[in-house]
Amino acid sequence: MKHSKYIYTAIVIATAIFFSACKKDYGNLNSPTIEQFLGNASKSELNNLVSGTESGMRNNIAFYLDDVGTIGREGYRFSGSEPRYVTDLLGANDATLSNSNFYITNPWAARYRVVKNCNILILAATNSSLISSSEKSGYIGFARTIKAYQLLLNLNLTYTKGIRINVTDPDNLGAFVNYDDGLTAIASILDSAKTDFATAAVAFPLAGFDGLNDAAGLLKVNRAIAARVAAYRKKWPEVLTALNESFFDVTKDFYLGVNHVFGTGSGDQLNPMFIPKNQSGEVRVAHASFAADIKNGDDRINKTSVRNSTASLNGLSSDRDVWVYTSSTAPLPIIRNEELILLYAEAKINTNAFPDAVTALNVIRLGHNLAPYAGAITTDALIAELLYQRRYSLFYEGHRWIDLRRYNKLANLPIDRTGDDVWTEFPLPVTEQ
Amino acid sequence: MKKAFHFLPVILFLIFLPDWLFAQEKTITGKVTDANMAPLTGVTISINKSNKGTITDADGKFTLTLPATAKLTVSASGFKTKIITADAAQNDIQVKMEEDFAKLDEVVVTGLATNVKRRNLANAVATISSKQLNGVAPAQTFDAALNGKISGAYINSNTGAPGGGISVKLRGVTSIYGNTQPLYVVDGVFIDNTATSGGLNAVTNAASGGSPTSNQDNASSRIADIRAEDIDNIEILKGASAAAIYGSKASAGVIVITTKRGKQGKTNISISQDLGQVSARKLLGVREFTAEKAASLSRDPSAGAALAAQFTAAKTAGQIYDYEKEVYGNKGFARNTVLSVSGGGEKTNFFFSAAQKDEDGIVKNTGYRNSSLRLNVDHRITDNIKIGISTNYINSSADRGLSGNDNTGTSIGIALSSTPSFAQLHADQFGNYPANPFGASNPLQTIALMTNNESVNRFITGLNLDAILQKNNNSITRFVARGGFDFYNLETNALFPSALQFQAVNKGTSIQGATKNLSTNYIASLVNSFTPSDKLSFTTSAGITRESGDYYNLLNVATQVISGQSNVDQAGALTATQFRAKYQNDGVFVQEEAVINNGITLTGGVRFDRSSNNGDVKKYYAYPKAGVSLNLTSLGLIQKGLFDDIKLRAAYGQATNVPAYGSKFTSLVVSNIAGNPGSLVNIQRGDASIKPEKQTELEAGIDFSLLNGKLAFEFTYYNKKIYDFLMLAGLPASSGFSTKWVNAGDLRNRGVELGVKAKPVASKNLTWNTSVNFWLNKSLVTKYTITPVPQGSFGYVLGSFQVEQGKSATQIVGLNGAGVGVLGDAEPKFQMNTYNEITFHNKLSLRFLMHWKKGGDNVNLTYLQNDFGQTSPDFDAMTLKAGMPNGIYRISQVGSSAKVFVEDASYLRLREIGLYYSFNKLPPALFIKNIRVGASLNNYLTITKYKSYDPEVSNFGTGFSSGVDVDPYPASKRASLHLAIDF
Repeated sequence: MKHSKYIYTAIVIATAIFFSACKKDYGNLNSPTIEQFLGNASKSELNNLVSGTESGMRNNIAFYLDDVGTIGREGYRFSGSEPRYVTDLLGANDATLSNSNFYITNPWAARYRVVKNCNILILAATNSSLISSSEKSGYIGFARTIKAYQLLLNLNLTYTKGIRINVTDPDNLGAFVNYDDGLTAIASILDSAKTDFATAAVAFPLAGFDGLNDAAGLLKVNRAIAARVAAYRKKWPEVLTALNESFFDVTKDFYLGVNHVFGTGSGDQLNPMFIPKNQSGEVRVAHASFAADIKNGDDRINKTSVRNSTASLNGLSSDRDVWVYTSSTAPLPIIRNEELILLYAEAKINTNAFPDAVTALNVIRLGHNLAPYAGAITTDALIAELLYQRRYSLFYEGHRWIDLRRYNKLANLPIDRTGDDVWTEFPLPVTEQ
Repeated sequence: MKKAFHFLPVILFLIFLPDWLFAQEKTITGKVTDANMAPLTGVTISINKSNKGTITDADGKFTLTLPATAKLTVSASGFKTKIITADAAQNDIQVKMEEDFAKLDEVVVTGLATNVKRRNLANAVATISSKQLNGVAPAQTFDAALNGKISGAYINSNTGAPGGGISVKLRGVTSIYGNTQPLYVVDGVFIDNTATSGGLNAVTNAASGGSPTSNQDNASSRIADIRAEDIDNIEILKGASAAAIYGSKASAGVIVITTKRGKQGKTNISISQDLGQVSARKLLGVREFTAEKAASLSRDPSAGAALAAQFTAAKTAGQIYDYEKEVYGNKGFARNTVLSVSGGGEKTNFFFSAAQKDEDGIVKNTGYRNSSLRLNVDHRITDNIKIGISTNYINSSADRGLSGNDNTGTSIGIALSSTPSFAQLHADQFGNYPANPFGASNPLQTIALMTNNESVNRFITGLNLDAILQKNNNSITRFVARGGFDFYNLETNALFPSALQFQAVNKGTSIQGATKNLSTNYIASLVNSFTPSDKLSFTTSAGITRESGDYYNLLNVATQVISGQSNVDQAGALTATQFRAKYQNDGVFVQEEAVINNGITLTGGVRFDRSSNNGDVKKYYAYPKAGVSLNLTSLGLIQKGLFDDIKLRAAYGQATNVPAYGSKFTSLVVSNIAGNPGSLVNIQRGDASIKPEKQTELEAGIDFSLLNGKLAFEFTYYNKKIYDFLMLAGLPASSGFSTKWVNAGDLRNRGVELGVKAKPVASKNLTWNTSVNFWLNKSLVTKYTITPVPQGSFGYVLGSFQVEQGKSATQIVGLNGAGVGVLGDAEPKFQMNTYNEITFHNKLSLRFLMHWKKGGDNVNLTYLQNDFGQTSPDFDAMTLKAGMPNGIYRISQVGSSAKVFVEDASYLRLREIGLYYSFNKLPPALFIKNIRVGASLNNYLTITKYKSYDPEVSNFGTGFSSGVDVDPYPASKRASLHLAIDF
């Protein structure tokens, strides 16, 4: 009888082997994989990477603007559900900035995610045999420009703690470089993109680059960012050179430039900086000093809106809503003409070309319903004037904290509660240590 | 490979069935009684080595046709099994059964197709009877009914929201980011227990990043659909040593559920009706305001004066409200009706049940409804072939409200946390709600207008075929095939009309999800029992297995929704997401069990498995197991005397957990802008070489019973090691990725389980059955190859989990005033339970279950949330620091110490208590056999120092990081009345 047992066992095993022949591998049913793009990408695949890059730049941008805006005392983000906006960011009591909290980990990761997408785009375009070499340069120039801009935003947060530049191989990430070396590296990435654009043909769709979406336009955008980086590096002549190659134009609209744009389409995003007026619970309000310090008649007062009831949280209060982004699909500037005019003025002040500086500052002043500059013509006075104009012109666009840090004036910021602090930099995210 | 081939082996064996030799047959009759000569009903008499048998009728009598001479096995639950020889000469067989206090003759499933008596079992397998599960104080859902009943388990209820959501961890955490939940098998069918998010994150933004779903969406577990009333028995295989034969799905243990089946004899009809009331277990209370306190809500003097005036006006008008009570203080009505019919003839038995329950929650417009139909049929085709079919249709619907963490101020608890008692939130005479000036949403409006519904249609069908292929005097070979499918359709409907305060931007949001899931599994095996002599028997089994799953989820988020509409096309904007997952696991197994001298049991087996989710889809992984038990009394090494039975046992086994679907791919997700389709690299990096996590478990123990089994002890020690545990590791975000699935290290769980069962009183008029269990588990991460980072909570500032070498896997770390240090551990120090049943005159029965969890910390952020809103009841008390109000003190700790948020969540809970009376001697003319009336309380008494709603909570659902408390749906308690009539 044992025999039959073995026979049946044999049948079972034979059946099992029979089944083994049909192994299953379902692949990824939900989305394309990285390998698909790196193989031999078609133009439409590369275009998808371009749009993904442009779209991804918007991810967590509100955290960045709230970080810079809150520490720079432009305003507060009151949230019934998220106390850390008013504790950690303002240094309430003994609170310090933590390396594991959303205000640094989320924007940091979102920027490097775009950097990764840019690196994939560069590699995919390089590997593709389905596009011309000028088209290749277009994709690569775009990817490098955006990558440099994203690195700059992270470096703005971590300052002396620095950033990683070379992040192509996730298993062998490049070392951290300090603030100065970081800026140098960003400038050199922008310069290599400039070279790319010289021979580029751009035929990919861009959303927030109206009027600047061809190779010549992208070059201007690249140079605008390069001008900002040069200013951060205090390379004043370079600022002026870059501005000359950018879309800088004192006669044009302040809002000429490139933007993050928003929409209600499928897979698209709404402007996360938009909060309707007079909300309660979740609000973004201007710091009391915004209205206190503004000059009479300055139309930039309209970047805030008087609330019908004071908003308070945790010992802080304000009666003005931030009203820079006035709808859920309002664009959010990446870089625009008004900043370029101010960069021009700044470079001129720092190279002692005061009359040119005053001319530029007056463009801003007149544009905002103020009389021409009549103050002292000294470096200190003009820098103070410049910082005032930057504060109100670029309100909640992510500048004031960085500007005051560049000029060593963080100590001038108001302290609202006993024990609050003004931070100079964010710690590196815990995952980087 | 076509589906038809799955049944190929079945067909093959049916064709090649051996010819049968039929001996001369004879009909015998008999009677079965207990020790007091009282007749026993429902005793199974089966002819050995055949699929034939019968059961005794109401007078304990039976009739059976059998070959000239045959061995009969006489068995009944709670009695020792007897084997008798019936020969043709005998006509009236009298069998007297002995009570089996220690349950040594209980049959326990040990293989995919084999089982063994508890007397010879090498593992500690916990069982839960139907009465323990559902006969004391029934819980709302099946998963909730398990709580407190499994020695060795850490069971935690995630939320009080209607429709369940329970985490079951058997013998410690077995995975960090892999599956931590056991496999549920109902009548041989592997049950899908996926928690599918309804997309609430699109509104709450609890997890930022723009995904419409997150693990904070408070989804229920699909196992909650199963009806506890249909269950006859549950066996819990707690670790690999018992569960290895389930292979790649068994590393978190296996819960084997057997549903009720019909028995031969008179048709039984039973109707039961429960009526009950659900209410909040505990409310936290609210801060009592005065004009000064109202003014202190704002720092701005003029705003403060306005608030004080607002308070005074509200007070004068008598409009001070306790909103917490208004929202959570409702009493829900609960009803449950079950009709069951069972019976059968010589060849066919059936069990049918139809049931419906409908319960309101403690928050208005929340509740749970479950309707179920079950038909189980067993049929004997010939004396040698029997088939069993189990079918179950379930329709369930849960309205779960909106609770837990959010970042938009929309969840009810978060909204309440910033709303003081003098706020005016009630609707005007036209039904319009005012905006809440103290928060982003008006919770009364949210409750009145929103919908968050999960509704399920589910079919579960199991098939069981048992055919005897060969038999002779000392050998019998069976073909056993078992399998089935579990299919469900889940619709999630989350609707936030534009009138809601927080819909100012989106102007109405409708989130419609459709999920379908098909899971199938089968095993086909040959089982040979070979008995060369009375003192030696072998059971050999071998077979093949397959499990497959096909999950499909479509989630549409529509905004700018046309008023009064929910269809996603009736909207100005629409975002769609689709997710699919498929897997197939194939396995082969062999197992050998030998019983020597009725006292030594040796078991060995191995299963080979591969899975389409592994990095290498072709590779087979081997899962061996082995077990030995020595019954010292059966072997005669120790004479029966004081000790009735002593058994030493040890078992070893391996199991794995396959990686999550998709963990091997680095993909690009869709990210569009202005109508341009975009591909953006996913934050999760794939690992093409991902391996399953492997578990080995060694378990050893001693079981003994005294005083003729009236006092039984079970002691078990286990050492469970998990190798290559799967981890969604944090990557340096500068790589562009945030996480990656990795095989990150090893961990170990060691623990003991002690059980005592006793029957201290067993007189004619009074019986008392009691059991006491004690268990504890200690985990240790023995190897960790990646950098420890906080995970599973909200970072160091508020207290977080962090896996670290040399530390407990569930340690909680955070700021401690001097840096980052260990603040607690989610693992309980130990747990105990006791189940008691006291019966008077066989009519009145008192049953209760107590459960004590000692230790185990939670991260309690509910209080902090209320502090920030300045509404916590003890905000103004100064008990934590002299001269400083508690609320201010707790806020001042944010950013410097998280100690105050990590809180001991010990509790002693009277989980269930019920009192039942049976009228079982009714006049025959009534046609009613039995009427049972009862009253029960579930969750009524809890002793805990834990300060939030309930120590059982999990903001992050059913995963590794349970016990994070952020404004949950409060836990509830229930009181019920029961009436059951048997015809």
